[in-house]
Amino acid sequence: MTQLAAYKKMKELMTNYYIEAKTTREKPIAWVTSGAPVEFLYAMDVLPIYPENYAAMCAAGHQSIELLEAAEAAGFSQDLCAYARTDFGADITQGGPVAGLPPPNFLLCSTNICKTVIKWYEVIARKYNVPLFIVDTPFLHDGLTKELIDYTISQFKDLENFLAEFTGKPFDRERFFEVLSLSSEASGYWKKMLYLAKEMPAPFNSLDSFIHLGPIVTLRGTQECVDFYKSLYAEVAERAAKKIGSLPEEKYRVLWDNLPIWFKMRRLEKFFEEKKCTLAVTTYANSWGGYSNIDNYQGKDIYEAMAASYLNVYINLGFEERINYLAQLIEEFSLTGFIMHSNRSCKPYSVGMYRLQEELSALSRKPGVVIEADQNDPRVYSDAQVETRLEAFIESMRPINN
Amino acid sequence: MFDPFHEVVTNVSKTIMQFEAQLRRPVIGVMPAYFPMELIYAAGGYPVQLWGNNLTLEKSDAYLQSYCCSISRSVLELELREISKMVKAYAFTSLCDTLINLRELYRRLFSKPTLQLSIPITQTEEARQAYIKNVLKSVTTGLEEITGQQITQASLIEAATLYGHTRSLQRKLYNIRRQKPGIMKNHDFYTVLKAGFFLPAGAYNQLLETLLHNLEALSQPQDSRPKVLISGMVFDPIDTYKIFDELKFDIVDDDLANGWRTVSKENLQIENLVEGITQYLFNPAPCCCIYNPENDRHTYLLNRVKQSGADGVLFWYIKFCEPDAFDRPQLMNRLKAEGIPAAFIDMELSMSNFEALKTRINAFCEILEG
Repeated sequence: MTQLAAYKKMKELMTNYYIEAKTTREKPIAWVTSGAPVEFLYAMDVLPIYPENYAAMCAAGHQSIELLEAAEAAGFSQDLCAYARTDFGADITQGGPVAGLPPPNFLLCSTNICKTVIKWYEVIARKYNVPLFIVDTPFLHDGLTKELIDYTISQFKDLENFLAEFTGKPFDRERFFEVLSLSSEASGYWKKMLYLAKEMPAPFNSLDSFIHLGPIVTLRGTQECVDFYKSLYAEVAERAAKKIGSLPEEKYRVLWDNLPIWFKMRRLEKFFEEKKCTLAVTTYANSWGGYSNIDNYQGKDIYEAMAASYLNVYINLGFEERINYLAQLIEEFSLTGFIMHSNRSCKPYSVGMYRLQEELSALSRKPGVVIEADQNDPRVYSDAQVETRLEAFIESMRPINN
Repeated sequence: MFDPFHEVVTNVSKTIMQFEAQLRRPVIGVMPAYFPMELIYAAGGYPVQLWGNNLTLEKSDAYLQSYCCSISRSVLELELREISKMVKAYAFTSLCDTLINLRELYRRLFSKPTLQLSIPITQTEEARQAYIKNVLKSVTTGLEEITGQQITQASLIEAATLYGHTRSLQRKLYNIRRQKPGIMKNHDFYTVLKAGFFLPAGAYNQLLETLLHNLEALSQPQDSRPKVLISGMVFDPIDTYKIFDELKFDIVDDDLANGWRTVSKENLQIENLVEGITQYLFNPAPCCCIYNPENDRHTYLLNRVKQSGADGVLFWYIKFCEPDAFDRPQLMNRLKAEGIPAAFIDMELSMSNFEALKTRINAFCEILEG
């Protein structure tokens, strides 16, 4: 991992966040999906809790297997998303790094990351007998349309009514706009930081961005989040200015598509370092940069801007747009190739990936590889299989400056 | 009396091509689930339903990973192997993540047009109505472009009457099975349903009417047999029903997406098509793939078990179907809490060795027999 001073601050932020989550008596708790419009919650002093983030923490801390097994023992099939299973297991055993999540008062789920979350949250809603509010953000087969924006805005307005009713106080629009501005600002720093990897050598790599992702997911809309990403950006910008690379030597620069393999972060980090290969950009971490557009929607309805941002999430896009976006990243970041993680736990990201690889290779004239793995379940992962494929791929790339 | 249905199911391509030539309607392949056939027929198309098949997967593995369900993989196999040459276009619904991406894959791999009936899952009523209105416009325009024919009030009435009649006849068949368990072999029953995926509604309705008439002459077996309700997405693989027959195990009802969940739908209301499509998609039977908290699956399934007189519920699980798999543990627990035995069996459509399946079905049968 690139040595960044901000890492310590991030650990502190996340620790405080989970301490508040486990101890708060004043704030209602909502379990939310990573793509949910959390700004509405912060505006109403609701504390958002992210089961996806917790599942990732469990896997990164090598605690997911026992939780997966607990969920499976309760009848949840191994075919299900490993994030969901990890969280079900954590809920059953009160396990994981903070001994389970605090029980929810209600649930907020958005379909821009997958439809799986509907089923996952239905299970939780039934177990805890709490309301589930869904913001349906349909798949953009043919791009963004006014009808889809209107559809999403109607649900935002309904969410405001729901929150007003749930908390017993009127929806605080003034506060909401402040939160939205903070959210957008933090996402802006995050995006600017990610795009510093265009520099050669890249001052950080995607494994770093995965590790520093926690606050932009969980604290988006708070001042601490803005402060953190502002300082992270400054630190990385300084490295870029001084031409300090993430790796001692950078021979290859690649894109990583899909979620990380949380339980293999250290091993893969070492592997890529040895191969002098920087993971310079990732579609996954970039997703949270998209919310920075909200504030730049000058002259237009802020709700429209917000709806557009929450609809326009990478894995909610049709394949044509995905391929063009990936090709653009390959060009902008001066990449030598790309890695696609065929992730057993994430069908929206993975189904059709082999075709995307073929087309992207043809379009970008860069080699690409698909590796078969899982974001959270170490039992379906093979070091030898993945690394053999990656080695062959790396050998097939033309190094930078050649 | 079941021969004509078996004939169709064992000669699917031949049947479709024969009727395509006869009707001179373009064949539209309909993916799972709940795309109203009425719209396709009203636009001058000939809808055939693609719920998967038992082909060996030779080509689809290059595009769909092993963790995709065998429904999607086997349907793709049809097009890759050019078995579905007669299909001129495909109609999808947004039932699950795999199907959503599958449509995108079809658009990249093939030149045939695809349609998407995107199902809104918001509980914001006004938004849902506006959304369905837009989707409907896109689907009907797309269909008209494919067939070259306009959907008219008259064609909609004809289609709604025809397909409404199909489901009404199928409901009669279900009722007979509920009232007289064992009167039909399980394999025959599901073959009758399956034939309806491929036959034009008019021809199918005639066969169904004849069958219903002939069934009146049959009497129910006198021996006492275990009665089960099966729940899942699809009833295939069809040959598995021979096991139930062999074990003298009567399926008295089902909660399957391509079974009762579709058959139970009333006539499509065309006076207000947006409202009609809404009702069609969300009612009366709940489905794991369509979020609808006002139509609770637990209560619904318990009622169906009681109404059908089933001794237990067998969850019929096609591997990697996430919506189905998420619901199952809580549903099973609820059934068991109510004293209703429940078990699940997982399978792939391409499986050909049914020995392990037989052992598991038999074990459940023994539980029901006490």
